[in-house]
Amino acid sequence: MPSIVCSAQASYKKLPGLLELTESHLQWTKAGDKVPSVKVAHSEAASLSRSKVGAAQVRLKVGLVNDETGHNFTFTSPQAVALAEREKFEAELTNIIARNRANAPVTPQLPSGPTIAVPTPSPATPSTPRPLPHGGTPARPTPHLSRAPPSRAASVASDSRTSGTPVSDPTSDFRLRKKVLLSNPELAQLHRELVMGGHISENEFWEGREHLLLAQAAAESQKKGKPGQLVDPRPQTVDGEIKIVITPQLVHDIFEEFPIVAKAYNDNVPGKLSEEQFWSRYFQSKLFNSHRASIRSSAAQHVVKDDPIFDEYLEKEDDDIEPRRLREERVDTFIDLAATSVDHEETGNEKDVTMQAGKQKAVLPLIRKFNEHSTRLLDTALGGPAVKRRRTESGDERLAQLDLEDLHDNQTSTGILLDMQDRQRYFDGRAVVTGDGAAAGPKVDFREALQQVKSSTQDWSARLAQLKIDKKAGDAALVSMTQNVASRLDVKMRKHDLPEGLFRQMTTCQTAANEFLRQFWLAIYPPPSEAQMLTVATPAQKAAKAAKMIAYLGKTHEKVEALVRTAPQEGVDPARIKVAMKPVLDAVDKALEYWRLKNANTKGPR
Amino acid sequence: MDKPSHLSVILDLSPTQWALCAQSTNPPGISLQAFLSQLLAFFNAHIACKDENTLAVFGALPGQSVLLYSSTGEVVAKDTEPTDPNTYRPFKTLDATVMNSLAEHIASFDGVSEEAPIGLVGCLTKALCYINRVTSNSSTPSSEGEGSAASVDPRILVLSVSPDQSSTYIPIMNSIFSAQKLRVTIDVCKIYGAENVFLQQAAHLTGGAYVQVEKPDALLQYMMMSFLPPPALRQLISVPTQDRVDFRAACFCHKRIVEIGFVCSVCLSIFCQPVPVCSTCRTKFPIKTLQRLNASRPLAISASTPGTPARPPAQRNGTATPATPRPG
Repeated sequence: MPSIVCSAQASYKKLPGLLELTESHLQWTKAGDKVPSVKVAHSEAASLSRSKVGAAQVRLKVGLVNDETGHNFTFTSPQAVALAEREKFEAELTNIIARNRANAPVTPQLPSGPTIAVPTPSPATPSTPRPLPHGGTPARPTPHLSRAPPSRAASVASDSRTSGTPVSDPTSDFRLRKKVLLSNPELAQLHRELVMGGHISENEFWEGREHLLLAQAAAESQKKGKPGQLVDPRPQTVDGEIKIVITPQLVHDIFEEFPIVAKAYNDNVPGKLSEEQFWSRYFQSKLFNSHRASIRSSAAQHVVKDDPIFDEYLEKEDDDIEPRRLREERVDTFIDLAATSVDHEETGNEKDVTMQAGKQKAVLPLIRKFNEHSTRLLDTALGGPAVKRRRTESGDERLAQLDLEDLHDNQTSTGILLDMQDRQRYFDGRAVVTGDGAAAGPKVDFREALQQVKSSTQDWSARLAQLKIDKKAGDAALVSMTQNVASRLDVKMRKHDLPEGLFRQMTTCQTAANEFLRQFWLAIYPPPSEAQMLTVATPAQKAAKAAKMIAYLGKTHEKVEALVRTAPQEGVDPARIKVAMKPVLDAVDKALEYWRLKNANTKGPR
Repeated sequence: MDKPSHLSVILDLSPTQWALCAQSTNPPGISLQAFLSQLLAFFNAHIACKDENTLAVFGALPGQSVLLYSSTGEVVAKDTEPTDPNTYRPFKTLDATVMNSLAEHIASFDGVSEEAPIGLVGCLTKALCYINRVTSNSSTPSSEGEGSAASVDPRILVLSVSPDQSSTYIPIMNSIFSAQKLRVTIDVCKIYGAENVFLQQAAHLTGGAYVQVEKPDALLQYMMMSFLPPPALRQLISVPTQDRVDFRAACFCHKRIVEIGFVCSVCLSIFCQPVPVCSTCRTKFPIKTLQRLNASRPLAISASTPGTPARPPAQRNGTATPATPRPG
C-alpha cells in the first residue's frame, strides 16, 4: 500500500466513502468496501475545479486527460473541516496537474524533485533535490520518474533510440508497427486476417512495407521544442489569503527566465534567508511585481512591500525610448527598415504620427519583456545565442545576396537533347517484317488476289443499286450490338446490392489473394533498390517463401468456388460472383503458371 | 446537334487479306465487292445526314497510302456513267470518284509479285494532317460565320482486315497521341481477322469505338449503328465498343509485343530485355542494374519461345546481356 498523502470523507455519486490521495493515485473507496472503486493515476489528472467558497456543498471535480467530465467528489465532513480537507486535496492536485502539464512538452533533463504546496509563499526544493528542513514529503526522485505519464515516457525514450537507426531493435520496431496499424485501419484489417490468422509471418507482412515504419519513426523522432509560455506564477486567492504553489519546474523556469532571481537566490539562500523566507519575500517584493507578465496587478498590488534584500536587485523600469538591453546583433542591412529611412526624405512617406514607440509608457516594459522572451526561446531552439555573423563588407558578397535565383532567366538551360540514334528506322517500320501475322493461315498468291481486287472495282454501280442486306444477319448484328450497349448500361445502372456478409467475404478473399500475390512477386523479383531493403533474404529463403505463397494461391480457386456456391443461399446470382472474382483469379492463374514454368525450367536439362 | 461532322475513312485494302476474307467461312468472310457496295451506301448516308458533312477516304494499299476522295478535293467525274434517275447526283459523283481512283491505284500494282505491308500508318498520318488542315482552315475565313474550328467534329474510321504489324507500334502510338491532341476520335471496325491490339488502343485512347464484326453480311448494319453518330452525339446514343482492351506494347528492339518490358529511364524506350545501352538515346546503364534486372526475368526465354529448351536462369545471369540487334 503506498503511503497516503491525505484523505477525507467524501461522497461520490451520492454514496459515502473515503477519498484518498496516495503517492501514485487519487482513489475513492465506498464506505464498507476495501477495494477503491475509483482510482485515478496522477498522470491522468488534467484539470481541477471546485464549488465556490460560500456554497452549501463542498465539491471538488477532477477532470481526466481523456475524459473531460471526470469525477465529482463532495466532501461530507462538517463545513469547516471539509473546506480544510478540500484545500489540502486541491493544493496537492494542483501540483500534480501542473507537473502533468509541465511534462507534456519534452523536458527530460529536468530532475523532477518532490513537489510540495504550502499556504502562502513557501519554500520548495530547488532543482537539486535535497531533504527539506521542515514537513512535507521527503525527496523521492525515483517514484516520480515512474509516475510520469506513460505515453510521454515511451516517446521520450524512443526519441533517443530512434534517432540513429530507427527500425533496428525489436521492441521499438514492434511499437512502430503497432502505431502504423493503429493509424491505418485497412492495413490493420489485413494484418488481422493474414498474420493473426497464421497465414504469413509478421516479418513477411512488413516486408515491402518498410517505408511505412520509416515514416512513422521519422515522425516520432522529431523533437518538440520548448513551450513558448511566459513564466507567470498565478496566485490563488483563498479566504483572502494569497497562495502561490511552487514546483521545482516553476523554480527552474523562474531562474531561467529571470537570471536576477537566480543570482539573488545564490547570494542569500541559505545564508541570510531560508528557502521558505526567500520565496515568500520574493513573491511579495517589487522585484516579483516587475516580473509579472501582465499589467493587471490589482490583486497583488497591496501585498507589494519594500524589501531591503530584494530591492537591491530591482532593476530600473525598462520604459525609456531606448530599450535597456539593446540587441547585440547587427541587423542585416537588407532587412533593416531604418537603413533606408533617410534615403528619400523629400519624396518619401510622411511619418506615421499614430504609431509612436513608447507612447504608452506602461506597456513598454511588457513589450520588451515579450521580445526578450521570444529571443531567448529562439536562442534555445537554435542551440545557443545566435552566432554573430560578421559579414565582410566587400561589395561582392552584398551583390551575391541580391542575386536571387528566381530572378534568373532559365532559358539558358536547354535541357538534355534526345539524341536519337538511327532515326531512319523509326520511320520505315516496314523494314522489319515479323512473320507472326502473315505466316498463319493459307497462303494467297498476290497476283491472284490483285486480280480479284481489280474485278471488284468494276461494275460497282450496278451492284450498289442491288445492295440488299441479309435480314437474318442484320437482325443478329442488331441484337449483338444492342446487347453490348445494354450490358454497359446495366453495369452503370446497377446498384451495389450484394448482401453485407457475402460482400465482406469476397473482399476478404480478394485482399488476402492480393497480399499473397504481393508476397509472391516480392519473393520472385529483386528489391527495387538494394539500399532500401533492411533484411535481404537469401535466395533459398525467397524460394521457400515463394513456394509457400504459391501453396496459398493455389487455394484461391477453391475459396472462390465456395463463395460461388454460397451465393444462391444469399439470393445472389452466382455468375455475378464469378465475374467479380475473375480479375483476382486471372492474376492468381498468372502467378501459378509462372511458378509452374519456372520450376519446369530449373528442373529441365542442364 | 447542329455541328457538321467530318469523317476520314481509312480503307485497309490489302489484296491478300481480302482474298483470305472472301474465302473464309468460319468466321464467315465477305468479298471485297460486297464490302465496297455497303461502304458506298455508308458514305452516302454520312453525306446525307447533314449538308455540311464532309468526307475523306484514304486507301491503305500495299506499301502505299493514297487519298481516294475528299469533299474539298477535285471531283473526278468522268461522266462516262449514265445519269441514273434513281440516284441523288452528289452521291453518284462521290461513289464514282472513290471507285475510279481506287481502280487507278490498283492498276499501278501490275507486275508486282510480292505484297508489301499496307500503309496504314501513312493513311493515319495523312488523315490527321488532312483534319488538321480542314479544322485550321475553316477557322480563318471569318465570312463563314459559325464555321469555326471547334464546330467541326472530326473523326477517323479505320476499316481493318490486316493483322497488327508490330513494327508500326511506335508510329501508330505517335499518331494516337497526335489524334488525342487534335481531339480526333478514332473508330475501328475490324471486319476480318484476329483482334488488333494497336487499333484497340487507338480507339480506347481517343474515345472511339472498336467493333469486331461478327456477321460481315450485315456490315452496313454495324456501320450505321456504330459509326454514323458523330462523337458529340454519342453521349446520347450509346454505340457498341469493346470493354476489354489489350494494352500491351511492342518493344523497340525486336518489335515483339511484350507483357513485361524494360523501359529506358531517360527516353522511355521499351525493350524486351535489359540492355546495357539504350539504342535510342545511347544512355548507358550501370552493370549492377543490368544484373539485377536480368535476375528478375527467369522466364524470359521460356516465355518468348516456349518451344526451345530453356537454359536455367542461373546460367543466364553470368553471361553478358545479349547485344541489341539493330534493325534497319
